[in-house]
This record gives sequence, structure tokens and C-alpha cells, in this order.
Amino acid sequence: MATLPAISSDEGIRRDLWRPLAGASSRYLIVLCVLSAVALWGLVAWGYQLYRGIGVAGIRRPVFWGFYLVDFVFWIGISHAGTLISAILRLTDAGWRKPVTRAAEAITVFALMIGGLFPIIHLGRAWLFFWLFPYPNSRLLWPNVRSPLMWDVTAISTYLTGSTIYLFLPLIPDVAQLAKRATGWRRRMYRMLSLGWTGSDREWNALESAMKLMAGIILAVAVSVHTVVAWDFSMAVAPMWHSSIFGPYFVVGAIFSGIAALLIVMALIRKTMHLEEYLTPHHFNNLAKLLLLMSLLWLYFTVAENLTAWYGNEPKEMNVFGARIRGNFGPYFWVMVLCNFVVPFVLLGIRKLRNILTATIASITVLIGMWLERFLIVVPTLSYGRLAATWGRYTPTWVEISITVATFASMGVLYLVFAKLFPIIAIWEFETQSEHED
Amino acid sequence: MSNSEHRWGMAIDLDRCTGCQACVTACHAENNLPLSDPESAAKGRAVHWIRVDRYYEGEFPNIRVKHVPVLCQQCDEAPCEPVCPVYATYHNEEGLNVQVYNRCVGTRYCGNNCPYSVRFFNWFDPVWPSPLELQHNPDVSIRMGGVMEKCTFCIQRIKRSKDDAAAESRPLKDGDVKPACVQSCPAEAMVFGDLNDPGSKVSQLAESGRATRLLEELGTKPKVFYLQKAT
Amino acid sequence: MYLNGEFRFGDARERVLRALQELRERGFAARDVDVFSNEPLEIPRDVLERRSHMSFAAVTGAVLFCVLIIGFVSFTQYSYPLITGGMPLFSFWATGVVFYEITMLGAILTTFCWFLKEAGLLRRGRPPAPDVEPGMICIRVRCRIEQSVAAQKSLEAAGATNIQSSGDAR
Repeated sequence: MATLPAISSDEGIRRDLWRPLAGASSRYLIVLCVLSAVALWGLVAWGYQLYRGIGVAGIRRPVFWGFYLVDFVFWIGISHAGTLISAILRLTDAGWRKPVTRAAEAITVFALMIGGLFPIIHLGRAWLFFWLFPYPNSRLLWPNVRSPLMWDVTAISTYLTGSTIYLFLPLIPDVAQLAKRATGWRRRMYRMLSLGWTGSDREWNALESAMKLMAGIILAVAVSVHTVVAWDFSMAVAPMWHSSIFGPYFVVGAIFSGIAALLIVMALIRKTMHLEEYLTPHHFNNLAKLLLLMSLLWLYFTVAENLTAWYGNEPKEMNVFGARIRGNFGPYFWVMVLCNFVVPFVLLGIRKLRNILTATIASITVLIGMWLERFLIVVPTLSYGRLAATWGRYTPTWVEISITVATFASMGVLYLVFAKLFPIIAIWEFETQSEHED
Repeated sequence: MSNSEHRWGMAIDLDRCTGCQACVTACHAENNLPLSDPESAAKGRAVHWIRVDRYYEGEFPNIRVKHVPVLCQQCDEAPCEPVCPVYATYHNEEGLNVQVYNRCVGTRYCGNNCPYSVRFFNWFDPVWPSPLELQHNPDVSIRMGGVMEKCTFCIQRIKRSKDDAAAESRPLKDGDVKPACVQSCPAEAMVFGDLNDPGSKVSQLAESGRATRLLEELGTKPKVFYLQKAT
Repeated sequence: MYLNGEFRFGDARERVLRALQELRERGFAARDVDVFSNEPLEIPRDVLERRSHMSFAAVTGAVLFCVLIIGFVSFTQYSYPLITGGMPLFSFWATGVVFYEITMLGAILTTFCWFLKEAGLLRRGRPPAPDVEPGMICIRVRCRIEQSVAAQKSLEAAGATNIQSSGDAR
């Protein structure tokens, strides 16, 4: 399939990809202001929570973990967008990924930054979060490295470091070029970020070696990160949590939601930044096929988890299972199946229906479905514990809902700012592609 | 296990328990438990380090009720201990699962991992409307919001008895240490003592044919023995 | 001194390879020749003898961090007087995940630092680099005055334009 854009000259590519960096339209500013306001409201809600106490959230005994943990797992899941596209497709040398890599890697870094906030937000005494770090002190205090939460800390820190480096490395050549043409504070910023890049073959060789290595490393880290997040739950003895399926299930779900997020972002930047010639229906077709594949894989894991729980008929597990399938959480469960499997299968499986718009719709429903899936993992198990006398129902409050919505807004803000400062498509990678056919 | 002198355990005779909840009240008074109102209790925020679970069998008029006072089981292999990222809960040498309020940052993982759900969280800073704060026990600390708490087997009373015995230069006798719940039970359904002492009442009751433990199949090795009803 | 030659137009890459061949045949050392471009040219590594030890560095960094973290965790776990009531002070499998993550962090950081070293970025006193426009490839040869004629001939033979010299005359 043809992937060459209509404009093949280098100047043309630069013009298209650098245009968004100059100036800001009023539409951009309005959207940025609205999203910032929502994000700020989330900050206010968090401030209120810090001031009054975490009781302003809806969590209670026995549902000690609620929306914040759901959001945490959700955002760490979204962060697998970059990993899949950049790392796996780079390792398999799939050329169609090239216009998509930087956008995906940016999603990863910002999603990690947002997701990494939640372990702090959900703490009862959040101002003491630094006690989870091993620092020398005179009180004989030390973190307990046995705890899966400590594994979270190391895993997410490593992944954030790796992803930031992985986003930064291919940015260097682009930023070096931008530095030549920019003025004022931008020029200073680009010069500093370009680290003195001159474009010599030594530098290119080093970059290519580093990118290859990082792709492999980041893939190994990404799989471990979401497995570790899953192990927060499966290391506990709670019914239907203590299952070995959690590790792979979460990784698959993460890649699934990551692709969905990437598709939505791609559709948005294609429309708003007029990149129709660079993000062609071919790219969306490939992403849509991947999304469909992950949807089927997700279905496989869901069936496996529920079938084994149901067939095993262990009473404590059956309480949770019944609540999820037909009890209090039944409606959410079936909406989740609809969003995660039925809609993507119909819209993306039937070739006539598959286009950019339907792929975007399917991706939005997938994100809703995956959020519901995280919710259905965290809350029902805690609501229906091993001793029936302890059962309880969880209702979120405005604080939790505000913070959840604000994270989506902050993702938007971060992304808007990023797209204004750096070209969203890696120009040097793209130029290489346009010479060698995909 | 540790080679300490004592290993504290409890035996609760379900045949004697009437479900009067004197133990619950006594625990509130002894351990400065935070108050709750009907609204917060409905939200699941009430704190009862010891609670009485009621199990009903049969249909009216042949209903049988079993009252089970549930408190922290002080498990020898507690699932709450390995998961705390800051070591706020640990196992001391006398077999008690100790909660260090000052160290807790409030991740609440321990609360999720406790199969008995005996851990309670301070969602807000506790408030005692005047003059209830005058009733506070000076031997027990007041916990602030954001901190996990649970039954301690009245560790302050254990310490007090040990200090008294040391002051009088005599060893601790069986029955010297009485947590508030044990002390207040009118049916004398609860017995507390040293499991390391084969002659103590709790050791003998633990060997009884009626002795069971809650959720024993999980392997938590709890140290509260429930003597099932004879009929 | 440095001699710069520009190569423009479609077959620039092939001409550059020819020029490199010529320069090598005339005896110029590979480390004295640099090729500048706005995109990676995929010059075969042996043409300019650019050997990379990055994989080795990454593995070394990973192993080093692995050893350090296991040592750090076990030393601190044993030296802090923590009471665990029977739970082992140091448990390899319970902390294995942390070891794995820090090992990977070691690989990541080492790769990045080695990249900076191999690329020669952040180094002071780097010779002036030619300003490369899009679609243009530039060869820079470091040579002594006596060799400059030979270098110029090699570049011209391959079709370079705008051959200029820069740097101190030596």
C-alpha cells in the first residue's frame, strides 16, 4: 500500500510539521484554558482532601481502595501506548510506525507522570509519601522492600526514566534543526536540548544503536511495570484477586487501552494539525487491526478468568463473581464487555465499517470499557470479603470524580503544550522513510 | 518463631457469648477509639476494634443465633505484615501484631489484605465533643487522620502488668493481664493468657475439642481460639 | 585544518560513499573523516571503522546495578534492627522484582550515558561542524596542509561542490 505523502520534498515536510509550532490559534488557546481550568479544579479537590482528610473520598471499610487505584492502574495502562508502537514495531522494523512514534512516546511519558501521582493522592498521610524512599535517617526507619507497593515505586520510576530518555533521544536531531531557525527563548531551549548535535555519522550511529537497545530494554521494563501493578492485587489473599492471571491480563489490557488512546490522539492531531497526508488511512487501518487483535486477546483473558472462577465454585470467590456478573456490579460488567469487545469487533472487524471515524469511536468505547474493567477488578473483591459480616458498598464522592476527570484534562494540557513546542512527527525518521518505501 | 517468654493468645467461648457488646464498649473506653455518628457508620466508617458478628441459622421460630466477637487475630503469619511499604505493622517477640501509628502513611494495603477485616482507618482527625475527651485513657495514644489502627490485645495493659510484676519481683501469673474486653465480659466468655505457659487457662482451652480458629484454611495461624457451641 | 565538501541532489549518498572510498585509498584515517547530514545515512560501519560497544556497555551497566542493588538491599535489611517476629530479614524472591527493575534502570542509564560518549555530545572543544541544509550531505576531512590537495581531489572526483577549508592552518 502506498504510504508516500503527496508532498515529497524535504522543505514541504518541514513546512507541514513545523507549522503548528509557530503561534497559537484562538481555538488552541480556548481549549487549553478550558482543560487547564478542569485540571486546576482537580488540584483544588486534592487540596481539599489534604486539608480535611482522606475521608472526603468515598472509600470506607472494607473497600479501602476505590477510584484512585482504578485511575492509577488505568493511566499506567495507557502508558503502554508508546511501548507497543515504538518498541515492538521498531524491533520488528515495521515502517508504518514512523509518523506515530513520537506521539505515542509522548502519551507514555505523560500518562506515567499522571499515573505516578495516584500512589501519592490515595495516601492517608500524603505529605509523608517520601517515607517510601530509602533515605538515611536517624530514626532507624527503612521501607519494606517486600511490599508490592515498593515494587511499584521502583518499577514506575524506572519506566518513567526509560520512557523520558526514549522520548528524548529521537527528539535531539529535530530539536537541533529547530534551533537553527528559532529565535528568542525557543532558540535557547532548543539549543540546550540538542546537546550540541551536529548530525555527524558518529552521532547518528550512536543514536541508532541507543534506540535499538532502548527499544528492547523499554519493552522488558514495560511488561514488568504493568505486571508489578497487577501484583499489587494478586499478591493479596482477597477472593478473586489472588490469581496468577493478573500479570498477563493487565499487560494485555494495558496494551489494549494504550492503542486505543493512541488512536484517539492520532485522530485528533490529524484533524487539528492538518496532517492528513502524514497520518494516512493506512496507519489508522493498521492501528485498528491491532486494536481488534488486542480486543480478542482481552476477551480471551476475561473468559479465562471468569470461567475458571465459576467452574471452581469456591464459595468466597463465587460471592464476588456473582456480584460482578449479575449482582450490584452486573450492569457495569456487561457494559464493559460491550465496550471492550462487541463495539470494536463490529466496527473494526467488518471491513466496510472500518474507517478513521469508526476506529476513533471504537477507541473511545474501549477506553470507557477498560476504565470499567479496572473498576470491576478493584471494587467488587473488596466489597465482598471473606467474612460476610464485613461486606460493604462503595460510592465515590465529588472529590474522587473531580480528580479523575482532572487527570484527563491534565493529559490534554500536557499534550497541547508538547505539540506546540516540538514537532509531533519525527521529521528525520519520516524523511528516511519517504526515501525507502515502507 | 521467637524465643520470648510470652506468647499472648485468647480463647472465646461462643457458647457463653450473649452478644451483649460489653466488650465493644469497654474497648472503646480503654483505647480512645474515635467516635462515629449514624451517618458515618452508614458509610462504613465506624471503628470497632472488637465487633460482634451475628450468624443466624434456621427459620422463625427455630432460629439459632451465634454471636462471634471478632477482633484482631494477631496472626503468626499475618498477611497484613509483608505488604506494608513502610514497616508500620510488624510482629513483636511476644507474638503480637503491632501497629506503629507514627510510621503509617495510609496506603491501606494491610486493610485490604486482612481476611478478617479487623483493621480500621482514621478517615479524619478524630473529634470528641466535650466532655468526652476527659474520658481518654492516658496510657493509649490518640491516632491522627490517615493512620490505620486495630486491636492491640491491650498492649498497654500487658506492659503495665509486666512492669507491676517486675516491680514486685515476681513472675507474671496467669490472669494478671486482662484486656478491657476480657475484663468486662459478664458471661466470662473470653479468656486471655500466655500460650507459652502450658498451665494457663487459655492454653488448656486452646487444646479443647471445641476449639477452632477463624478462616484457618488461609494459613494465617491466628491466635484467637473460638470454642464452638456444644449443641 | 578541516576541509568541507558538500554533496547535493538525488544520488548524494552514493557519491559520498565513493568519496569515502577515495579518501581511504589515499590514506586518510577513518577517525579524521566525518559525514554530516540531517538524516541517518546508513553508511556501512566498516567503511569508516565505527565500532560500537554500546550493547556491551549496557549489559555491564545492568550487571553492575544488579550487584549494587542486591548488596544494598541485603546490607540495609540486615543492618537495620527491625523486628519481624520470624519473617526473614532478607528475602530474595520477595524483593526480586526490585532487583530486576533496578537492573533495567542500570541498562537504561548506561545506554544513555554511552550514547552521549559515543556520539561525542556535551564535549568541549569540538571542531566546527558544517551547517547542513535539508537534502545536503557534508564530508569534513581533518588534514594537514600538505594533504589538503589530495583531500580536495578525492572530494571533487566524487562530485563535491563548495569545497571550503576551516579551522587553524597546520
